[in-house]
Amino acid sequence: MANIAAKRIKREFKEVMKSEEVAGGTIKLELVHDSWTELQGEIAGPPDTPYEGGTFLLEIKVPETYPFNPPKIRFMTKIWHPNVSSVTGAICLDILKDQWAAALTLRTVLLSIQALLSAAEPNDPQDAVVAKQYREDIQLFNLTARHWTNVYAGGPTAIWEFNQKVQVLLDMGIDEDQARVALSTFDWELERATEHLFS
Amino acid sequence: MAGYFEEMGWRELEDGEQPDHLLHMARFIFEFGFNEDFNAREWPKLPPPASQETVKNLPETTIESDGKSCPICLKKFNIGEKVTEMPCNHQYHTTCISIWLNTTNSCPFCRYELPTDDEVYEQFKRNKKRSEQKQEDLAVLHNSMFS
Ligand SMILES: [Zn+2]
Ligand SMILES: [Zn+2]
Repeated sequence: MANIAAKRIKREFKEVMKSEEVAGGTIKLELVHDSWTELQGEIAGPPDTPYEGGTFLLEIKVPETYPFNPPKIRFMTKIWHPNVSSVTGAICLDILKDQWAAALTLRTVLLSIQALLSAAEPNDPQDAVVAKQYREDIQLFNLTARHWTNVYAGGPTAIWEFNQKVQVLLDMGIDEDQARVALSTFDWELERATEHLFS
Repeated sequence: MAGYFEEMGWRELEDGEQPDHLLHMARFIFEFGFNEDFNAREWPKLPPPASQETVKNLPETTIESDGKSCPICLKKFNIGEKVTEMPCNHQYHTTCISIWLNTTNSCPFCRYELPTDDEVYEQFKRNKKRSEQKQEDLAVLHNSMFS
């Protein structure tokens, strides 16, 4: 790993450990294999959002050319959000692409991702299906996102009706994640989701 | 046809030369004024590097107080250290800021933009400024008529 990248990550790491967000438990940063090229981030779902009470893990890969190029970050915890792929966890956020600036740090990036959970940008979607639901039926979107937060991120609100429907598909031998994606995609209409899965 | 080409400041392709479609499309949009929509949008990728001339001529200053660090490598500056200063007054190690400005043209801290050597980008910036001015004029006009 290039010298400047490794040195900078070390300085950032020290800095972030002293930050009030780490002290307050809203973000976390950990090394993976002590290599400085790969880290694991953690953000708390912001209050007053469907992600509240959930803990979301992020994979952070630091390129050789850091900080002249942005870190590569994706959600490892599955999440239902217009700007995050519900399948791969890829994030659509301008500062991780063409709006990157070398003075941004892993701390400011994690805080920006957390802010994205509070204020989605459905007009610049990463996941078109989620964005469509967000625009057309915000209540159903909020319920779906809360359900995903409960199942994958340890959020507090179980939604009985959704769990029942997932169970119906599980009983048909469908994989759990696949069943959940299909139901979420087809607005929790069991018939359409089933048709899609078996077509 | 040659007359028309000359009038538009264009020239015919040499044998085996490929047209630069992006440049042509950009010129077409700019010169014929179909640019309202294009300008409303942002530059679709990282802006180009700062002009080499400008980077070369950035002033060098000396660090006089303690506690500041370079926003790129995050290393603390020593008192008496020579650093490069951007027009926005943000200071960097000369090597650090040169690498960055060779990638894109703005201050990594506040996004103050330096000129570039990229003709299409400079045209884009001018048009954007012009359309912002136009919006402002329209707003002034509107307010004067309806207030
Ligand atoms: Zn530096
Ligand atoms: Zn600046």
